[in-house]
Amino acid sequence: MAATTWAPPALPARSAAAPKRRRWSLGTPFSYMTAFVVMGITLVPILYVVISGFRTSAQINTAPVAWPHPWVFTNYTSVLKSSAFWHYVGNSLFVALTATALTVATGSLAAFALARYSFKGREALFAVFMVGLLFPAGVASLPLYLWLKNLGLLENLMGVALPEAAFSLPYTIFILRPFLRAVPGELEDAAVVDGASRLRFFRSILVPLSRPALTTVAILSFITSWNAYLLPLLVLSNPIHYTLPLGTASFQTTYSQDTAAILAFAALSMVPALAFFVLAERRIVGSLTGALRG
Amino acid sequence: MATITLEKVSKVYPNGLPAVTDLDLEVAEGELMVLVGPSGSGKTTALRMVAGLEDITSGTLRMGGQVVNDLPPKDRNVAMVFQSYALYPHMTVAENIGFALKLRKMPKDQIKAKVRDAAQMLGLTDYLNSKPAQLSGGQRQRVAMGRAIVREPSVFLMDEPLSNLDAKMRVQMRAEISRIQRRVGVATMYVTHDQTEAMTMGDRVAVLHMGRLQQCGTPQMLYERPDNIFVAAFIGSPAMNLYEAGISSDGEQVVIGSQSLALPRGLLESRPGLAAMKGRKVVVGIRPEHLSDAALAPSPGPGTTLYADVELIEALGHELEVHFLIDATRARSEEAAAAQETADLGGAPALTMAGAKSEGVARVSPRSQLKAGSRAAFVVDTEHLHFFDPDTGAAIWN
Repeated sequence: MAATTWAPPALPARSAAAPKRRRWSLGTPFSYMTAFVVMGITLVPILYVVISGFRTSAQINTAPVAWPHPWVFTNYTSVLKSSAFWHYVGNSLFVALTATALTVATGSLAAFALARYSFKGREALFAVFMVGLLFPAGVASLPLYLWLKNLGLLENLMGVALPEAAFSLPYTIFILRPFLRAVPGELEDAAVVDGASRLRFFRSILVPLSRPALTTVAILSFITSWNAYLLPLLVLSNPIHYTLPLGTASFQTTYSQDTAAILAFAALSMVPALAFFVLAERRIVGSLTGALRG
Repeated sequence: MATITLEKVSKVYPNGLPAVTDLDLEVAEGELMVLVGPSGSGKTTALRMVAGLEDITSGTLRMGGQVVNDLPPKDRNVAMVFQSYALYPHMTVAENIGFALKLRKMPKDQIKAKVRDAAQMLGLTDYLNSKPAQLSGGQRQRVAMGRAIVREPSVFLMDEPLSNLDAKMRVQMRAEISRIQRRVGVATMYVTHDQTEAMTMGDRVAVLHMGRLQQCGTPQMLYERPDNIFVAAFIGSPAMNLYEAGISSDGEQVVIGSQSLALPRGLLESRPGLAAMKGRKVVVGIRPEHLSDAALAPSPGPGTTLYADVELIEALGHELEVHFLIDATRARSEEAAAAQETADLGGAPALTMAGAKSEGVARVSPRSQLKAGSRAAFVVDTEHLHFFDPDTGAAIWN
């Protein structure tokens, strides 16, 4: 029997691929070892930053790698009490949320057109977007700077958010297009016969069905612009406009002797992005299981 | 309420492939017109043109007298049931049924009432808050029907709505769709490749092949008086036995392989066209039910018996389907082959050709003692023979 209701193509679900009984083979210890190495490379620096934030600079200077003894909380509390930190958080949130909203809104519409309209030059246009994937942002910085200057967007958070959104578009379209394409044509026909315009079909049918993919691109876009350093550095020079990465750097320069405080600041600046990821990741899994149920 | 009229409607795809050619068809108010044909016959394209999902290349499409060629689907007030049902997976049953009404900006309480009525009619009341994935195939089918009828359309279009159901469910839904269609009473076009569905559901049936209308008429008419070999081979299950034959020079006998049958006077009178075929080749068609076991016949008249080797017997309880090999050449016109291919999908096992022999099927009484591997004599109901011109494939009547 042919599939009668369509479910979005499954992103790799955790349990789906796992066989019920694992067979041990020569490859297994090797893959575990690889996993541990990768995990170590990823986690150790983060843990080092977080844990060292609980030590004093004197402790770090005497023994760079050691357990906090005693545990010191003042590094963290003083960062949390500083108004500058919260100001940077606010700026970063504004930039990341704006860039994400712009990316998702424009990227999904572009992917919709590229996936479900047939017009001359469609593949060429898609190729142009894909070339964007290969385009290093650094190369664009000078012309971009001049352009933003002409537009009067220097010293303006929008001057960061807009280019960030633009840089996120290629992979957004790359991820969304096959997803939107996979929605069967009969659903669109049904919506058209029901009286829906194409945009209405997009809004009422495609978008809800593509939620897992949309969440994925939203996370990617948020984290990319949250972590962006080069572009804010070019555009923003007044500390009032600093985003967190710039703030961290400036904090580092100001308190270059206080390693522990810098580490605490860096650790805290990671928290919002991590929190966003954890929340959104739940929603990815949620919408995936939701899709499987119907 | 409206009639649907297609006048010389054609569809040519951008790549130059013709899908439908000069289709003339009229569906009256309240009538259920079945479009039937093998895959690629253009039936779905025809339906999609009526829905407005495909452009019409040439010809005129009217609904209720008004030309609607260039009207977008939403302004045609058509409802369509799709093969995959095309239910919106993220919406509940109630939302699915009410979506079209919501798009029309109908007040919420009215939508609710209409959805409730439709659900009641279809026995879906308990499932209004379920998602499509939680429903069985038959229930999804009902939701698709509900979505169509709730809009009170003037035209109802169905594209193979039963092909995703199992055999039992299909029979049940067949009756249900007919019942609902009669109750709603709008002009309906129903596309299927299954001739049983076409015969049982259609007020009239239009047989399509390669984008052209072959014949349109009541199921009985198509069965009894097929216009050409294609319709003859396509309608009826098991399919009509079609063999190359010749009319004797005196015009009184039809020669099939090494055997011959006498043509009764009544048959010759009702088919005056046969007189012109004296001494010429024809294609003869024998419906399986017009062959009976000679052993059970009281006294078969002269020239009414055909001999064949029994290959296989399928007992259906109320009758036996006897598959035999006969010393004759099966009519192999392109049309018959295409029709046969589709019919074979329905079930009859394909028999291998042995020498110059051709396969055939007879439906005989369950009292018959015929055995596989034995030689059988079949009495032919010669009054019901069909004749076709081997060159044009057209039936020989007048």
